[in-house]
Amino acid sequence: MHDRSRNRITQDRYPDYDVLAKRNGPSWNDKTREVIARRLSIDSQPLFFAAEEFETLTAIAARIVPQPASRPQIPVAALIDRKLHEGVSDGYRLAGMPREREAWRRGLHALDAEARLAFSERFAGLSGAQQDELLHRAEAGRLNAPEWGSMRCSDFFKRRLLHDIVLAYYSHPVAWNEIGWGGPASPRGYVRLDYNERDPWEAAEARPGHESEAARTNRHVR
Amino acid sequence: MYDDALHMPRARQGQAPDVFRPGGWVPMREYRNDEPVDFVIVGTGAGGGTLACKLAEYGFSVVAFDAGPYFRPLEDFASDEAEQTKLYWTDDRIVDGANPLQLGSNNSGKAVGGSTVHFAMVSLRFRPEWFKSRTVLGYGADWPLDWREMWDYYTEVEQALKISGPVTYPWGPPRPRYPYRAHPLNAAARALAKGCEALGIDWTETPLATISAPRGLAHPCVYRGFCVTGCSTNAKQSALVTWIPRALAAGAEIRDLAMVGRIEVDDNGLVSGVHYHRDDGWHFQRARNVVVAGYAIETPRLLLNSATDRYRDGLANSSGLVGKNLMTQSNQAVWGVMDDEVRSYKGPPSLAITEHWNYADKGKDFFGGYAYMSQGPLPQLWANTQASAHGLWGGPLVEEMKNYNHVVGLKIVGEMLPQETSRVTLADEVDQYGLRIPRVTYSWCDNDKRLIDHSLKFMSRALQAAGAKDLWIQEDDTCHLNGTARMGDDAGTSVVNADCRSWDIPNLWICDGSVFPTVGGVNPSLTIQAIACRTADRIRAMARRGELNRSARRSSAPISATTDATASTA
Amino acid sequence: MSRAVERDVLAGAGLALSVLAAAAVLAPKAGSSRIRSQRIAALPRSGPQPRTAVRAARRLNGAAGMLAASVLADSSVEHYRGSFKNRAMYTPLVVSALTLATSLHGTSDMRPLAHRLRDGCYLLAAATGLLGTGFHFYNVTKKVGGFSWQNLFYGAPLGAPMAILLSGLLGFCSERVRETARSPRPEMFGLPAARTIAAVTGAGLLGTSGEAGLLHFRGAFHNPFMAVPVTLPPIGAALLFNAAARGQGRAHPFTRAWMWLLTAMGLAGVGFHAYGVSRNMGGWRNWSQNVLNGPPLPAPPSFTGLALAGLAALGLMREHRDA
Ligand SMILES: Cc1cc2nc3c(=O)[nH]c(=O)nc-3n(C[C@H](O)[C@H](O)[C@H](O)COP(=O)(O)OP(=O)(O)OC[C@H]3O[C@@H](n4cnc5c(N)ncnc54)[C@H](O)[C@@H]3O)c2cc1C
Ligand code: SF4
Repeated sequence: MHDRSRNRITQDRYPDYDVLAKRNGPSWNDKTREVIARRLSIDSQPLFFAAEEFETLTAIAARIVPQPASRPQIPVAALIDRKLHEGVSDGYRLAGMPREREAWRRGLHALDAEARLAFSERFAGLSGAQQDELLHRAEAGRLNAPEWGSMRCSDFFKRRLLHDIVLAYYSHPVAWNEIGWGGPASPRGYVRLDYNERDPWEAAEARPGHESEAARTNRHVR
Repeated sequence: MYDDALHMPRARQGQAPDVFRPGGWVPMREYRNDEPVDFVIVGTGAGGGTLACKLAEYGFSVVAFDAGPYFRPLEDFASDEAEQTKLYWTDDRIVDGANPLQLGSNNSGKAVGGSTVHFAMVSLRFRPEWFKSRTVLGYGADWPLDWREMWDYYTEVEQALKISGPVTYPWGPPRPRYPYRAHPLNAAARALAKGCEALGIDWTETPLATISAPRGLAHPCVYRGFCVTGCSTNAKQSALVTWIPRALAAGAEIRDLAMVGRIEVDDNGLVSGVHYHRDDGWHFQRARNVVVAGYAIETPRLLLNSATDRYRDGLANSSGLVGKNLMTQSNQAVWGVMDDEVRSYKGPPSLAITEHWNYADKGKDFFGGYAYMSQGPLPQLWANTQASAHGLWGGPLVEEMKNYNHVVGLKIVGEMLPQETSRVTLADEVDQYGLRIPRVTYSWCDNDKRLIDHSLKFMSRALQAAGAKDLWIQEDDTCHLNGTARMGDDAGTSVVNADCRSWDIPNLWICDGSVFPTVGGVNPSLTIQAIACRTADRIRAMARRGELNRSARRSSAPISATTDATASTA
Repeated sequence: MSRAVERDVLAGAGLALSVLAAAAVLAPKAGSSRIRSQRIAALPRSGPQPRTAVRAARRLNGAAGMLAASVLADSSVEHYRGSFKNRAMYTPLVVSALTLATSLHGTSDMRPLAHRLRDGCYLLAAATGLLGTGFHFYNVTKKVGGFSWQNLFYGAPLGAPMAILLSGLLGFCSERVRETARSPRPEMFGLPAARTIAAVTGAGLLGTSGEAGLLHFRGAFHNPFMAVPVTLPPIGAALLFNAAARGQGRAHPFTRAWMWLLTAMGLAGVGFHAYGVSRNMGGWRNWSQNVLNGPPLPAPPSFTGLALAGLAALGLMREHRDA
């Protein structure tokens, strides 16, 4: 982890950029529109998880990919819930790890059990710092409540929890805005490929002191 | 709405999807299950798709099965990483060993066209010495093939795929000019070039199987950068849009969403057809020959799952080598950020390459070689790399991701040595068809680690010289699958001969990435396709001489006589 | 207006202007010229055939204008693609627009007198061409890989600024021809004008054909018609050189016919390139990408411009015994 001092941490590197503004233009094809529309229509009611499990997952997601309150929230937990509901699989698992659904159920129960053990409270009820502490311990392989079964907590953390949460977050247009990605691109791709070259349909990055110029440009991105 | 390729077979009733027209169809010949066809081919990827085309063009009757769907890229492919996981083989598999592999998105496809539907299109030739790496370079195993013959087959494939490549290639013996010109470099590729020039080694534009000018109904590349999630413009010259349409035109049948579960062996010890699952039921297709081309995990799995009383250890396995010597390639990377905007998501991910360390033998403390290429990960892949390989989560992850447009990286494709301990076996659990699932065991050897070490040090210097800062190293990644049914000169130490014919059962063939005795430091698909072209020529020659029904052990003896086959027909 | 929008507007204006101009150059200007020719008749007649000289000069103006129009459109598109990163990238737009205006003025001017301002403009255009070539050369060599196929294909095109140079040269020639309308034979710097122009035009054809060859090689000559602009123009160049070498007083009907062929080829080229654009992903619906990434629409008419210059030279030759 490094501190990148030369790029001050801005809330918004790509002010006013909205990848969805391109939705009806030549950068999106019908299939993409259909797929993204489906993703955006997901509400935050679980179909796969029980309410308690979902609560725990939501709390975990908030620690793994914290979101500023100032913009629409990405329903990370619901995205994962739908994926499991539909039975989408990675296609492989470590020996000792159960398949996706079972791994998640077991992992969430185990983390709740660990939370009770350490802080006498469910995971979702802990403070952010306490939650982080538990997650760090899972990452380091230092949790061993019986609920984990044959699954090592570090495997669950890295290969399920982190993996699925991060993928869910960055499958969402709001996250694409945050990082200034051009988004879907077919039939129209890109023309200007060299350093510091930007097509008019790409996000403009805010240079220090020129945020409003970037914002103005970004409002024209189609 | 479209007809749903994922759930309903499309190739049937005398027609198959036209990959070049939304909603379009092309005529397709069909065979009855009880009609013994000359060749059943299991898998339609780099190996199977190519072979199906060539054999059909040579007049054989061919039915090629694929467990995956038959896509029309123009209408079925979204510009979306999550959606496009539908291209991957995601049936259940177990990984273990000291360095368990990542499979799924990372390693294999499940679609008509196989993994080439979502591959990165890098199309490289082997270094000639690698075909004799044991005798000439002192490691691995020799191939039963002569590089000069392969050179002609490479040319045939490069022409068939209209590879876009540099006007002159800096390494190795001369090769004919690539049929299409190289693509423009993106900033990420220029960073690679700058690093190479600073360190005094050659670099070039990567020869890619994506067209830089129109070709028939295929559009040229639009530099959208979604290549490894499927090309929705048909610029990518995958088997799906090259060999398969040719195969159909020549009279082959493609059976999509048809999972082959077992190869049948008759009383004479010859194979007689395949059992396959399609439309919720099992069927049996009769065949005079069966070719397995399911890639280096599914191929051994099918052979092992087809065990009978007579062949208790699985088919073609008298050497005991089926499933062994699984090789991936090392795929480590060095990443950094630049002050400049790079936006590496534009264009195919690996536009520039150096093969320097494939061809240089001095200054190495390891066997084998590696190439390295520029990179262009899309957001999900990049976030997952930051999380799982860089160990970031929470605020640091979200903040680091905001540097996305400034990231540059170099990644190797490195040679890993064959080891019998790295292998595919059957687990006790079963998949949705009731077939035992594969267990994939993988561990790096010391040589692998030395190679990786060397590459990471070198690439770090190169990336620094290109002006990148805050470098970090991605230590754990691999790509491509090979081995598990190696070819050789000797029935005791290999599974198939130079013609991809199994030593044990003369009408059982294996023609895909599984047959590689070593992997070299280049991406494998061009070599797989070249071998398939050669195999087709050999089969035609044997058929003409009436040798198809004789034993592999005898008919393959005069390897040097292979040139009677019309080598480059295209 | 933000900078980006400004750029869009500018490039669009450049394009529109060049299309209009090209139409104007090609359109017959019968009406206006009749009126003017009456005026000319009143002028003192000291040279042998001032009318033919003026006609040739006007034709040359037209040719220069056609080239300038092509440059204006091409540099509008290409420099828009280059996002006008460097302020100097506006130069060819301004200069070619100016040259275009100058040429239109010249085309409709019947007087057998050179025009100071026109001369100045044409010299400016020629200088811009030279400078531009230098810039483009620098751009290519400073890129990593230097003077490589990659940078020749995709870097700043070396040949492109030559078109504005040629436009300037032809314009300048036209003024010289006009000037000598009243002297015994049209000449420039002591060289016979028509033959010099024929030679310059031949060289221009070769250069332009080279540029087309480079870019069509980049496109792997995937369409057989892509061979046309690398075969017909060099033959035309050879014919012009031949005419220049032993041209006096001959009609050169075959060369003239060939020039008409090249004129047509340049115009048909736009059609072919438009078809090329339509073959890219998304076709014309995806114009914002494909006009930039597809074959350049404004490039082929530079052949037309040169062929028109060749015709002017041949016309002069036919009518002037020792031109
Ligand atoms: C992300 C990624 C990027 C890559 N990039 C490159 C690259 O740039 N250059 C390169 O050279 N290589 C690349 N590769 C590797 C390349 O795609 C493979 O090496 C090559 O396609 C393997 O060919 P194959 O014929 O052995 O198998 P595949 O192409 O995988 O084909 C096997 C087919 O068999 C089918 N199948 C398997 N078992 C059965 C069964 N039992 N019944 C029915 N059908 C079955 C599968 O569905 C599949 O379609 C890449 C791979 C991936 C995953
Ligand atoms: S970059 Fe080119 S090859 Fe890759 S997906 Fe896009 S169009 Fe296809």
